[in-house]
Amino acid sequence: MQKSRRRAAASAAVVLASALALSACSAGAPEPAPLEPVAGGTLVYASGDAEPDCLDPHVGGNYPQALLASQFLETLYTKDQDGEVVPWLASGADVSDDGTTITLHLRDGIEFTDGAPFDAEAVKANIEHVLDPATTSSTGYLAMQKVASMEVVDAATLRLDLSAPDAALFESFTQPWNAMMSPAGLERSQEENCAAPIGTGPFVVEDWQRQDAVTLVRNENYTVPNPAATADPEHTGAAYLEGIEWRFVPESATRYSALQGGTVDMIDNAQPDTIASAAESADIEHLDAPRPGASNRIELNSSKAPFDDARVREAFVRAVDVDSADDSLFFGSAERSYSPLSSVEPMGYADESLFARDPEEAARLLDEAGWRETDDAGYRVKDGERLSVHLPVSTNQSVPAEQSLFEQLQATAKESGIEVTTELLDLGSWYGALGEHDYDLVSAPYTKVGPDVLRILFHSDSTVPAPSGYFANHAMVREAAIDAALEEAASADDPEVRAALYAEVQAKVLEGYYILPLYDQQNHFLYRAGLHGVGETTAVATPVFHNAWLAD
Amino acid sequence: MRYLRWLLTRLAGGLFVLWAVATLVFIGIRLVPGDPVEAIVGGPGSQAGPEAFALARAEYGLDQPLPVQYGTMLANLASGDLGTSYSLKAPVAEVVAEQLPGTLTLAFLAWALAWVLAVAAALFTALAAGPRLAHLADALGSGLEILAAAVPHFWLGSILVLVFATGLGWLPPVATDSAAGLVLPVATLALPLAGFLGQVMRESLATALASPFALAARARGESEADVLLRHGLRHAALPGISLSGWALGSLISGAVVVEALFARGGLGRTLLSAVTVRDIPLVTGVVLVSALTYVVVMAAADVVERLVDPRPGSARTTALRASTPQPAPAGGRP
Repeated sequence: MQKSRRRAAASAAVVLASALALSACSAGAPEPAPLEPVAGGTLVYASGDAEPDCLDPHVGGNYPQALLASQFLETLYTKDQDGEVVPWLASGADVSDDGTTITLHLRDGIEFTDGAPFDAEAVKANIEHVLDPATTSSTGYLAMQKVASMEVVDAATLRLDLSAPDAALFESFTQPWNAMMSPAGLERSQEENCAAPIGTGPFVVEDWQRQDAVTLVRNENYTVPNPAATADPEHTGAAYLEGIEWRFVPESATRYSALQGGTVDMIDNAQPDTIASAAESADIEHLDAPRPGASNRIELNSSKAPFDDARVREAFVRAVDVDSADDSLFFGSAERSYSPLSSVEPMGYADESLFARDPEEAARLLDEAGWRETDDAGYRVKDGERLSVHLPVSTNQSVPAEQSLFEQLQATAKESGIEVTTELLDLGSWYGALGEHDYDLVSAPYTKVGPDVLRILFHSDSTVPAPSGYFANHAMVREAAIDAALEEAASADDPEVRAALYAEVQAKVLEGYYILPLYDQQNHFLYRAGLHGVGETTAVATPVFHNAWLAD
Repeated sequence: MRYLRWLLTRLAGGLFVLWAVATLVFIGIRLVPGDPVEAIVGGPGSQAGPEAFALARAEYGLDQPLPVQYGTMLANLASGDLGTSYSLKAPVAEVVAEQLPGTLTLAFLAWALAWVLAVAAALFTALAAGPRLAHLADALGSGLEILAAAVPHFWLGSILVLVFATGLGWLPPVATDSAAGLVLPVATLALPLAGFLGQVMRESLATALASPFALAARARGESEADVLLRHGLRHAALPGISLSGWALGSLISGAVVVEALFARGGLGRTLLSAVTVRDIPLVTGVVLVSALTYVVVMAAADVVERLVDPRPGSARTTALRASTPQPAPAGGRP
C-alpha cells in the first residue's frame, strides 16, 4: 500500500501506527502540531462503483458489495499491516495433518448489532448460508466449496470437515464475500437481509435510499476483535465518526468536482487525470490500494485461430506498446506489471524479459507462423485470410483511460500487420460474447485474496462454463502440468512448497504468452486533507473507517 | 357523448400502447445476448452453481416455454402486478414508486423552466427589439435556440458542472436535498427543450402577428402589447402545447443521462442498471410507467389545447381542414 501524503502527512501519522510513519517524513516541511482525533461528524463518501443490488455480500459477491460491506460486516480472518493473514473474529485454528479437518476457535464477547452473540452456531449458519443454492452466492460459494460438513463443538469452537485439503481457505476467510452476519438476520427473507444485513462491524446500516445513498451509523458497542491487526492498537472502542453517508455518484468528473467543493469527503474510482490533478492540490490526499488476486491483463484466446499458435500470441505481445500508454494515458499512476498476480500478492512471479516490445521479432514470428503476405491495408494474410483479432470491451468495467489504451494497442498492432477490432459492449452483452467464445482478446478483472486465484483463471476446469455461460479461464489454458501444479499447491500446507508451485504455474502462463499483463487492478481513492486516520484497508483493499476522523 | 367517445378512444389507444410496450420489451430483452437468470443469481458473469440456476429458473417461471412466460406476464400486468425485480429482489411497483417522484419532479421543473425560457425569448425578440431591429433579434434568438436544441444533455451537463460547480463553486455538482442541488440538473434538461420550443413558438408568433386577426385587432385600436399577449401568444402557444406531450417523454429519456451525471435517484438510473443486468420485470415496469406517463401527458395536452383554442377540433385539424380543398356542393342552386 503506497500513500502519497503531502502536507498533512505528519499529523495523520500520529493516528496511524508506526508502520506508516516511515512515509510521513517530508523533508524541510514545518512540523505541524500533533493532532488528536476528534469524535463526531459524518463522512460523506462518493462511490463510482455500481450500486449493489443487495448489501449482503453472500448474495452474488462483487467488488461494490465488498466496498460497502467492509463498513458493517467483519470476517473470520483479515490481513494485518504487513499483509499477513491473521485471525480477526476467529482467534485461531488447528488444522489436521491431512488438512481436511479445521477446528476454528472463536473470540469471546463479540456481539452482532442485534445483540445476538457471535458464536460457533453463528459461523455455521453463515457458511451454510453461503453454500445454500437459494442464496445464489458466486464469489463466496467458490471460496467455501470444499467445506463438506460442520460440527459445533462448543460455543467458541467449530469443526469444519473438508472434501479435500484447501490451503487457500484462510485467505478466503478474509474476503468480505464470506463475512459474518447475525443468524437471526439471515433467517429473514432475502429482500430484508439484502436491505440491511446485521454484522459486527464499526458501523450499522440504517437506511438505503436506492439509486442515491446508504446511511450508516456508528455501532456504539463496537470493540476491535484483534487490536494487533489494526493500524491504531490503542483505539479499540467505537469509531470516531458518527456515521457515513455512502453516496453513489457514477460520473467521475462529478465525483471529483464534489470532492473539490467539499460536498463529499472521499471518492473512489479516481481516474488517472484526476489523480494527476489532485497531486498538485494541497487539500486532497491520494490512497493507492491495489486489489489482490489477479493483475489487470489481456487474455489471448488460445482455443482457436489465430492465437492457437503460440508464435502468433508472442508476435502480438511483442508488437504492441503498453509502456508509453502508462505515461500518456494513466499519467504514471499505473505501474506496469509483468505477472499474472497483483503486486500485493507475496507469491507473485514476474518476468519482464518476456514482454519487451520488439516489432522485428514479431515480424519474424509471424513469418514463421505462415503469415507472410500483406494485403493492401498493410495487414498480414495467410491462405487469403487477414490476421484479424477481436477484442470486446465492457464499457461498465473499462475506464476511459483503459479504453484509450486498447486503441493504442490497436494502433501499434497495426504497425506489425495485426488487425485488432474492438467492440464496446454493455456488461450483459460482453459476458454474452465471452460465453459464445466470440473473442480473441479480452480484459476481465478478477479479485480474490491469495494466489489460489490462479486456479480459477488457469485450471482447465475453468474452461467449462458455469450454467450462466461464464468461465474464468478466458485464455483457455489447458495444460496438464499447470493443472497438476495448481492442485498440488491447493493441498500443500508448507508456504515454500506453495510458492514454488505457484511460481511454476505463473512462469508457464507467461512463457506460453497466454496473457499480456498490464498493471495492478486500479484502486485509487482521493480524500480531503481534513479527513484523517484513513489508509487502512481490508484484505481486498476496500477502505475501513474505524480510525477515521474529521478535523473540521 | 362526443367527449365520452373521445375518452374511450383515448383509453383504448393508451392500453394498446402499454400492451405494445410490454411486448416489445419482452421480445427485445431476449434478443440481446445474456441469460435473464444471471440477474437473479448475482448479475452477469456470476459463477453460481447449477442448483442455484435451476432454483432461480423455477422460482421466476423462466423454465416455462416463452409463450407461457409471455401470457403470465400479460395476465399479471393486467391485474396490476408488475412482478418482482430479479436484481433488487423487491417488488417492481415498490421500486418504481420510490423512484418515480424524483424523475417526475425533475421532468416537470425542466418542462416548466423550458416554457418560461421559450416564452421569454419569443416575447423578447418580438417586443423589446422593435420593428427596426426585429430581423437581427430574430436571427440571434433563432441561432441561440438552434444551438440550445442541438447540444446533447451529457455535454451540456458536464459544461455546467465545470463552470458553476468546479469553477465558480456556486452550485453543488451532485444533487442534494436543497433547492440549489436541483438547479444544474433542471437547467441541463430544460435548455435544449427551451431551444426547441422557442423555435416553434417564434415561428408561429410571427405568423400570428402577420395574420388578418392581428391586423383587425390593431385596427380596433388595441395596443401592440395587447395584440401580442392576447392574440399572438395564445396562437403561438398551441403548437408548443401539442409538443409538450412529446417533450415530457423526451425529458424522461434525458433523465437517464442527467440522473447519472448529477447522481440523482430516479427512474432513469434504475432503467439503466436494470437493462445492464437484463432484469426483465424491472425494465418492463419502468418502461410501462414511462409510457403511461406519456399517454397521460398527451391526453392532458389535448385537453389544454381545447381550452386554449375552443374552436371545434384541435388547431391542427382545423388548419388541416382549412387547407384541404372543399368539394363543390352537389347539385346546383334551386
